[in-house]
Amino acid sequence: MAATSAYNSPGFDFSNTYRNQFLADRGVPLPKATSTGTTIVGCLFKDGIVLGADTRATEGPIVADKNCEKIHFISDNIRCCGAGTAADTEFTTALISSNIEMHALTTGRKPRVVTAMTMLKQMLFRYQGNIGAALVLGGVDITGPQLFTIHPHGSTDKLPYVTMGSGSLAAMAIFESQWKPDMEREEALHLVTLAISAGIFNDLGSGSNVDACVITASGTEMLRNFVKPNERVEKERRYVFRRGTTAIKEEKVRRWVVDEEEVTPVGGEEMDTS
Amino acid sequence: MFLTRSEYDRGVNTFSPEGRLFQVEYAIEAIKLGSTTIGISTKEGVVLAVEKRVQSPLLEASSIEKIMEIDRHLGCAMSGLIADARTMIDHARVTSQNHAFTYDERIKVESVTQAVCDLALRFGESVHDEDAMMSRPFGVALLIAGVDEKGPQLFHTDPSGTFVRYEAKAVGSGSEAAQSELQDKWHKQMTLKEAHILTLRVLKQVMEEKLDQHNVQLAQVTPDKGFEILDEVRLKALIDDM
Amino acid sequence: MPDGSFSHPQQRQFNPYTENGGTILAIAGKDFSVIAGDTRQSEGYSIQTRYAPKVFRLTDRAVLAVNGFAADGNMFVKKVQQRLEWYRHAHAKDMPLGAIARLIQTMLYGRRFFPYYVYNILGGIEEDGTGAVYSFDPVGSYEREACRAAGAAQSLVQPFLDNQIYFKNQQAPAGQSHPLHLPLSDVLAIVIDSFTSATERHIEVGDGLEIYVVLTKGRPTQDLEGYRGVKELTTRPDGDRVFLIQRELKKD
Repeated sequence: MAATSAYNSPGFDFSNTYRNQFLADRGVPLPKATSTGTTIVGCLFKDGIVLGADTRATEGPIVADKNCEKIHFISDNIRCCGAGTAADTEFTTALISSNIEMHALTTGRKPRVVTAMTMLKQMLFRYQGNIGAALVLGGVDITGPQLFTIHPHGSTDKLPYVTMGSGSLAAMAIFESQWKPDMEREEALHLVTLAISAGIFNDLGSGSNVDACVITASGTEMLRNFVKPNERVEKERRYVFRRGTTAIKEEKVRRWVVDEEEVTPVGGEEMDTS
Repeated sequence: MFLTRSEYDRGVNTFSPEGRLFQVEYAIEAIKLGSTTIGISTKEGVVLAVEKRVQSPLLEASSIEKIMEIDRHLGCAMSGLIADARTMIDHARVTSQNHAFTYDERIKVESVTQAVCDLALRFGESVHDEDAMMSRPFGVALLIAGVDEKGPQLFHTDPSGTFVRYEAKAVGSGSEAAQSELQDKWHKQMTLKEAHILTLRVLKQVMEEKLDQHNVQLAQVTPDKGFEILDEVRLKALIDDM
Repeated sequence: MPDGSFSHPQQRQFNPYTENGGTILAIAGKDFSVIAGDTRQSEGYSIQTRYAPKVFRLTDRAVLAVNGFAADGNMFVKKVQQRLEWYRHAHAKDMPLGAIARLIQTMLYGRRFFPYYVYNILGGIEEDGTGAVYSFDPVGSYEREACRAAGAAQSLVQPFLDNQIYFKNQQAPAGQSHPLHLPLSDVLAIVIDSFTSATERHIEVGDGLEIYVVLTKGRPTQDLEGYRGVKELTTRPDGDRVFLIQRELKKD
């Protein structure tokens, strides 16, 4: 067995396989990769890419942020939607954004989407799924419009329409029934809105507003809160508390300066100010 | 008369051609042999009274028990086969406790009476798979007295499982004379004290022995104090007032 | 095992319970009681239905809200209704609220070792005409209270009610004291705000809101008439009365 040998063979290390099987038999299963609630989509159209995302962030069943941004900046012509562990998606996309900028400066060329995709998948694969980022990457480069999905373990797909997150089935149902090749910009944007809305209303992990981003060869248009179908209704009562509502249990004034003493230095050297 | 019945008075669950259940009718007859028992309902509460037949000077009169408590708000007087009444009162007590346990409220007088009467007809042959039933009808009549949300009430049950509400009712050997006396004397505005006196007077009329605090038993159910059997001191005072 | 053998002991288990989300609450007033629940039923991240009532009228003076495992909740309500019908036949009256509370305890405790996975809140009018709320745990421990929230958003709503109904952490102005009971209009406003707020921050709460209002016999109804969509559900005249207010909640 490899463990008893000082020699480390190249390639994969399977030394934990038997231990993991043993633990699984004893009722300690391997940690499950979780995809926390989100709906993110991407869609190819005649002149480019439309990306879409909902704006709900959750912690278990509690809504942590009602209007968060899930479409992250990679470069001027590339954006990336993130689903999964919020910190992982934010950190990963920020890191790749930096690296893409460095790469662009080094090469003196506009970055390509495949480059970002390759960087992301290599990083995620290196971390064996422990970085819980499920991404939709889209952009327009010298080769034309590009759209990818990247799974937490590092696998990628290149498709004309993609969805990710807990609302991916609801959103994909829209794409599968209504997507067609060579759509106009407005048509594609409308379809993305429908797909995200399907996630917002039918998946409990997704909610609030629709964010969208249209990327074409001529530029990128970020449509933050493109649709807001879930505005809060006005409250029935005003909850303003009268001054003095909070009871004062104890009042104590403490002097932080315990003892004050003025000391005039005697003699000593004058500071040299010349 | 008995000859004509001979074919149909054996089985407890066989109707005669005239549509009668003789064993049940005989059981009702058995009550007429019992000691006289009286109940009177008033606005202030219900009074129960029984005659104790002290057949021998050696008999300890206080050991004769013909009025029993079912619950704090329910009492019962009996006439007929006293041993049979024990089964019925056991059932009534369990029913009442069960009701209090399940619903956190006092059972109604009518409901507990109904429960006792449901038991009265469970005689006959048991079907296979069923618990053995009783072999004959009960030979006892009960006067169930109680106070509930509808006020003080008095119910009479007989071996056929029939129950009826009365303002005043007499059962047992002297019941015919006693009942007509009650009909004459009972009125709506009667006080509890008047009811006490009336039960004693009626009992005195129908009893063979001279009435005293040893050969009668008196009980009452009132909204405030619930069921209580009057002790000999109170009983004597009432007899003296009579 | 990797070799495909099954020589090792194997364990299988079936979990008969599911958590179906949603939230219920009830508040008792001096001469009224308000019982409410949302109508979303969910499993995991999916909505099973946007309209599954969790609050039920039992009698003209008693309303029961059930939350937890929906299948158990529905069956439990059916069984309670059956027992109420039997009681009506046996005792020729509607079961009083306190008696229903005790009945629910005995029914729940009867399943001590295979419980109904349900949190119950019973609201209505007592025999003495006062508003009452009884809350239960799944195995029958119960208590009469002035207000209670249960279900998915209990941890969000109960502290709000403690503050607004019991005035917890609120000092009354000098020489004054907090009111013991709030008027119906205030209670209804607090109930609606509880649910719209829980909908904002809990993913399992939303879609619809059903508010039952039970008024004691002879109480004026003008403070209820202002509400849109009020329906009266009372079955018998000259007794306590039951009303239902239905509202929409956000659907995301």
